[in-house]
Amino acid sequence: MILQINHLQKNPAAEAARDLIETVFTLVQEGHLEPSQLPSLRIHLDWIQYRQNFREAVMAIRAEELHGKSAPFLDLHVNTRDMTPEALRAGLLRTLARDAHVAEKPEDCLALEEFCSFRSSIAWQFNQLYWQRLPDWEKATGRSYEQALPGGKSDANHAAAVMDGVADFWTLLKDLEKHNRLPAEIFVLEIGVGMGTRCGLWLDRFQALDQERGTNYYPRLKFLLGDYALATLERSRPAVQKHMDLCSFIVLDALNPIRSLSFLRHKILHIHLTNVYDNLPDEQLARRDGRLYQVQVRAYLPMEDAARIGQAFGLGVTELKGMIARLLSLGPDCLSDRERGVALWQEVWKALRLEERLVCVEDLPSFSLPEGMDRSRFEEILREAPADLRVHLSTGAIESLRNTLPLLHPRGYLQVQDIFVTDLNDYRMGFYGPGKLDGSIVNWVNGVFLREVAERAGYDLHFAPFRYRPGSKTSVLYTTQRE
Amino acid sequence: MTLPILPTTVVGSYSMPGWLERLKTEYLGRRISRQDLDEIHDTAVKAAIKDEEVAGLDIVTDGELRRDNMIDYFVERLPGVQVDRASKKFYYDFYDSEVIGKLPSGPLGLTEDFKFLQANTTRETKVCITGPHSLSKRIRNKHYPTEAEFAADLARVLNAELKELVKAGARWFQVDEPYLSGFPEDLGWEVAALNVLTEGVNAKIAVHLCYGNRYGKPSWEGSYRYLFPGILEAKVHQLTLEFARRGGEDLDLFREFKTPFEVGVGVIDVKTQAVETAEMVAERIRKALEVLPKERLIILPDCGCFHLPRNVAFAKLCAMVEGTKIVRKELGH
Repeated sequence: MILQINHLQKNPAAEAARDLIETVFTLVQEGHLEPSQLPSLRIHLDWIQYRQNFREAVMAIRAEELHGKSAPFLDLHVNTRDMTPEALRAGLLRTLARDAHVAEKPEDCLALEEFCSFRSSIAWQFNQLYWQRLPDWEKATGRSYEQALPGGKSDANHAAAVMDGVADFWTLLKDLEKHNRLPAEIFVLEIGVGMGTRCGLWLDRFQALDQERGTNYYPRLKFLLGDYALATLERSRPAVQKHMDLCSFIVLDALNPIRSLSFLRHKILHIHLTNVYDNLPDEQLARRDGRLYQVQVRAYLPMEDAARIGQAFGLGVTELKGMIARLLSLGPDCLSDRERGVALWQEVWKALRLEERLVCVEDLPSFSLPEGMDRSRFEEILREAPADLRVHLSTGAIESLRNTLPLLHPRGYLQVQDIFVTDLNDYRMGFYGPGKLDGSIVNWVNGVFLREVAERAGYDLHFAPFRYRPGSKTSVLYTTQRE
Repeated sequence: MTLPILPTTVVGSYSMPGWLERLKTEYLGRRISRQDLDEIHDTAVKAAIKDEEVAGLDIVTDGELRRDNMIDYFVERLPGVQVDRASKKFYYDFYDSEVIGKLPSGPLGLTEDFKFLQANTTRETKVCITGPHSLSKRIRNKHYPTEAEFAADLARVLNAELKELVKAGARWFQVDEPYLSGFPEDLGWEVAALNVLTEGVNAKIAVHLCYGNRYGKPSWEGSYRYLFPGILEAKVHQLTLEFARRGGEDLDLFREFKTPFEVGVGVIDVKTQAVETAEMVAERIRKALEVLPKERLIILPDCGCFHLPRNVAFAKLCAMVEGTKIVRKELGH
């Protein structure tokens, strides 16, 4: 048996390891586990950063062979953060029982979909619903989504960071002017505007700096606020009220900004995003014993939660499944009383879990790397990475990056403030999502793959820690032209 | 060989297939042999020539598919230039290179490429070389007192190569200088270097000046105004310029300044995969005809088709040829 500790939390690791070994051997003594099973057993101790997440305390991940061959291995993942000795025993027993009935759908779960890549999971439909119906959610919780962030506010709105960002941008404009290359119209784009606070701060500061230095750039500014949801754009208006003449509000998909803004190809001097990439559809890959697997998921509700929710809303378990489909289609208006609809939504989201399995990519003819990721370079990166590894593919972030870069003016730059994994080794020392943040998904972004894709598009990516708030986990990605 | 009015051509490069990119990188990693790569290049070049012919171009090139990029192909061949071959991991990256002494004279071996091109087409052909200004911006100069002197000496070596090519039968050249738009202040010494380059070369010589196409995106923005009047001193026959992506505003410069040059008018935007219609191309040519006589116009894309997928590049060239035919007809040809 291999015990693999995937984090750096000393005490929980020590306690969990002791409890685990004791429990496993007790299960062997009691006949729940065969001694012959132990050599092929690998148990991972994970520390899940997000208290709200998609995992049960113990989870089994089996590698599936789709062509009738026997499954090559079974890994058990234990969430050391949520684990108690009692929960561990119960979790192990439940997981082993489930695994014994792996061919059928387990009876203690209400499966909400078939196994699929995480990117296609209905978990993302919940995420989408959250942004589309944010006011309903916030009304029910009594707090804004920014208040729900860790620390209660967004790093995007840090005044000193915004001030420095504006100063850097002003310096670029000055240099362009010096070389007689300052465009008549100065385009700036913010994607994912939230309440518009950052945009307002940025514009205030830019106007002040421009006046202070007498450069007269401000009247030439065209500030674009882009967001997926019209409702969000509307909510951002008051924050930029003083600068309304310079602002345009554009509904766009962060996955494909150039689709909405193709008329600005090669024209935008500065593009900024905060905490957008961590919320874009993603999928994960795992390499185990030299083979590459896609991590497939199946969303489910534990049966006790399904029964409890069903009872609270007067629905049988089967009806609940239909109602969830209706919720994802109609939003909280799926019930005649919208407030009850929101309550149902919140209960389901809270209980939602993801079962996982690994499928060898060789068995998936439709599997492809994100566009822009060269297969041979991808393999080369993995060759240099630790042997057994599980990584984000960051499909959505890569797609977004590729569809944003062509908007940049030759001297323009992109900045993305987000949570990035910049060294594949780090994946062995922590769990980087997905987690739940209020009603949305949060997921770290694979900066290594992003860097590779950007290089092929003609940009070098750099990652700088966000230095304005001690302890912040965010970094700032910025681009420079690649020669 | 008689060319029609408004002759059509490419700026030089044709679509670089993804499979060829991978094989070039494999070669760089010493996983395939030079001999294999040469055979692969021959096959790819033949296919590019065929596509150019089928699209209907009047003047064809070898698609520059043997080149890793517009700099390294020359850097590797220029005698006296030191190349750090470990300095790139992907074929398209640039080598680190430097010059530490006066450049000796010596052949660059472009004649072999030309002979291969000539043997595989009956159309008029064009050979493209990277100009002294662009080369001087990428090769670290540790010998010459000034960039101008370095460029002039590069031009001397390139001049000998052009003369060898003429002996082999080459009649059309294009000197690529995309870096000039990023350093307009260099125009004076660049023109002097161009005149060294073209001295005694008995062929038609074009200079291609664009705003960059590295990675399929522009490297600079601005106006061609910086070229005037300095460029009028250049002893070349033709300027090929980018007008499709940037619009035709700068065509007015040819109203303002009396120039002796033919003008290669960029009518295809190579930085987008959207394929122009023939009518769109025709309209762009008509706009140029308002300023320049038909006898002095050459029709081509804004820049090389290197970054476009093959099907898109081919479709764009077909549209260019069809659009040109529309205008030829309107002109009675």
